[in-house]
Amino acid sequence: MLIDSLAAGMELFATPLAIGLTLFGVLFGLLVGALPGLGPLMGIILLLPFAIGQPPIAAMGFLIAIFVGGSCGGSISAILLRIPGTPLAAATLFDGYPMAQKGRAADAVGIAISASALGGLFGGVVLILFAPLLADFASGFAPPEFTVLAITGLIAIVVVSNESLVKGLLSGCFGLLLATIGTDEFSTNYRFTFDSYHMLNGFHIVAVVVGLFAISEMVIQIKGKDLTDKPNIPIVRASFSSLILTLRHWINLLRSSVIGAFFGSLPGAGGVISSFTSYAVAKAASKPEEKYGEGAEGGVVATESANNATVGGTLIPSLALGIPGDASSAVLLGALLILGFYPGPELFEHQPEIVGGIFLVYLTSNVFLLIAGILTTPLFVYVLRIRKSHLIPIVLLMCVIGTYALQASVFDLWVMLGFGLIGIVFRAAEYPLSPIVIGMILGPLLENNLRRSLLISREGYWIFLDRPVAATLIVFNVLLISGAIWFAYRQRQKAIAAAATAPE
Amino acid sequence: MKLTRNHAEWIVILFFVGLIAVVFQQIYTSMTEQGIASGSPYNNAAAYPRAVAILIGALLLCMMVVSKITSKSIAAVPSENTSNLKRPAILLFAFAAYLVGLGTLGYHLTTPLLVMVILFLSGVRNKWEIALFGFGLSLFMAFMFEVFLKIVLPGGIFTLNIRW
Repeated sequence: MLIDSLAAGMELFATPLAIGLTLFGVLFGLLVGALPGLGPLMGIILLLPFAIGQPPIAAMGFLIAIFVGGSCGGSISAILLRIPGTPLAAATLFDGYPMAQKGRAADAVGIAISASALGGLFGGVVLILFAPLLADFASGFAPPEFTVLAITGLIAIVVVSNESLVKGLLSGCFGLLLATIGTDEFSTNYRFTFDSYHMLNGFHIVAVVVGLFAISEMVIQIKGKDLTDKPNIPIVRASFSSLILTLRHWINLLRSSVIGAFFGSLPGAGGVISSFTSYAVAKAASKPEEKYGEGAEGGVVATESANNATVGGTLIPSLALGIPGDASSAVLLGALLILGFYPGPELFEHQPEIVGGIFLVYLTSNVFLLIAGILTTPLFVYVLRIRKSHLIPIVLLMCVIGTYALQASVFDLWVMLGFGLIGIVFRAAEYPLSPIVIGMILGPLLENNLRRSLLISREGYWIFLDRPVAATLIVFNVLLISGAIWFAYRQRQKAIAAAATAPE
Repeated sequence: MKLTRNHAEWIVILFFVGLIAVVFQQIYTSMTEQGIASGSPYNNAAAYPRAVAILIGALLLCMMVVSKITSKSIAAVPSENTSNLKRPAILLFAFAAYLVGLGTLGYHLTTPLLVMVILFLSGVRNKWEIALFGFGLSLFMAFMFEVFLKIVLPGGIFTLNIRW
C-alpha cells in the first residue's frame, strides 16, 4: 500500500512545475532562514498566497521545501554572524561560530547543510514508515476521539512551549473563537458576521497569519537602531567534501536524527528542543579531544541533523491525524485544507496519491537542500548584506500583494493590519501567537466532532468517557496540565530561592 | 514616559473582556433572532462559542488570582520608552493611510510612497536612493506578480494598470 501510494504520488510529483517549485522553495527557505527575524514560518506565510494557486502537490512541495530550507538556513547567519537566523540554529552557533573564527567557515556551513539534508532524509524515512501506521490506527476513530484529540493537540502545543500556560490557553481559545466566525456548518446560519458579506466565510486564515506574524515582526524590527548598517561578511564557498566530513560523525548523525524525529512527532516540541537535546547528548558522548564549544564538527552535525529531522517527525501527526505539531505545520495544514484536502486517516485511504506526493516532495526537498544549498552558499552571504531598512519594505510589500491576491479584496488587507496590531500587543504582553493559529486550524475539527458526538450520544458528555481512546486522552490531558502547573510552581520556587540567596 | 509589559497585559485583558462581551451580545441578539441560540447540538450554534467565552473568562480570573498571590515580581518587568514607539506608530499609521489610498488611487500611485516613507523612517536620507528604491521596488513587485502569477493589482479610479 505504501508502494502504491508512492507510485501514485510520483505521477503528480514528476512534473516540471512541482520539481521546479520544490527547488525554488528550498532556496527561498534557505534565504528566509538565514535572515534574522524571518525564518521558515515567515517564509511559508509570505508565499502561501501564491502557493495555493498552484496544483496540490506543487503547492505543498513549495511550502514543505520552504520549511526544509528554512530549518537549515538559520545556521548560515549563526556561523557567519553569531546571530542565529532562527531559534532552531541557536545551538549551532556554539560550535559553528568558533569554527568560522578559526578560518573554517566554509566547512562549518557545508557541514550544517549536509547534516540538515541527511537528518531531513532520515526524518522522511520515519515519516513514510510511521505516518501510515498512525493513520491506520486512527481510522477506527469516531467523533468523540477526534474531539478529544483536537483538545490534546491544542493543550500539548501550549504546555510544551516556553510561555505561560494560562496565556497560551487564552491564545488558543482566541483561535477557537475566530474559527466560529462565518457560516455554521450544521445549521447554515451566520455567526459573528455583523451583517457584513465580507465575514460570511470568516477571516481568511492567511490574512490572520500574515498579520499576526509578519506585520507585527516588521513593525517591531523598525524600532531597531542599526537599520541602515551593512554587515561586513566575507564570501564563503562550501564544497561537497563537507559531506565526507559530516559522514565521519555517522553515529552522532544517526542518534541526533532519531532525537529530532522523535521530538518532531510530539505536538509542541519542535526543532528548538530537539536541537538543544541532541547537542547536549552529543557533548556528553563526545571525547575530550573533540572540544565541544570550541569549534567541534560534531556540535554542528548534532544540532542541524536534529532540527531538520524534526520536520519529518512533525509531519507525522499533521498528516495522519490532522493535528499540527507547531505553527509551521499548522500553516501547512491550513494550505492543505484550502487546497481541498482534509488531513487524517481518510486522506491516506481515499487519496493516497496526495500522501505519496507529499512524501516524495519532502524527500526531494532534502536532496535539493544538499546539492543546491552547497552550490548557492555565496548567494546567501550577499543576501545577509541587505540592510534592514531595505528588507522591511520588501517583506511588507510581499505581505500586501500576497494577501490581496487571495480574494482581490482590500478587506483582507485591513484584516491583516488588524491582526498585525493584535500580534504587536500580544507579543508585548508575552502571549504566544502560535496557539492562535493552531486554535483556528483545530477549531472546526473540535466543534464539528463535539456536536456530532453529542448528537449520537444517548448519555450526553459521558460518551467521551465511555470510549477507551477518548477517555485515555482525557486522562492524558489532565496529567499534562497538572504536570505543567506543578513544573511552573517548582520553577517559581527555585527562582524565589535563587533571588533570595543572590548577593545585593 | 515608560510603557511596561504590565500595560500591554492590561490591554490584552481588556481585549479578552471585550471579546466575551461581543460573544454574549451576538448570542442574545443575532443568534437568538436566527433561532440558533438554543436547542439540540444540531441547531444550537451558540453553545460552543458560549463555552469558549466562558472558558476565556475562567482563565482570565485564574490569571488574575495567580498574579495576586504571586504579586512579588522576581524578574525585572521589561519596559519601553514611548519615544522608541514613535517609528512603529508612524509605520502603522502610514500603512493604514496606504490601505485607504490603495482602493481609491491604485497600487502604482500609493505603493512607491509607502516604500519611501518606510525607508525614511528607517534612517535612509539619500533622496535619490529613496526615490529609486521606492519606485523600483514597487515596479519590480508589480512585474513579478502581474506577469508571472497573473495577479491583477488594484488600478484605482484612474485605472492605472501597466500592460506588461
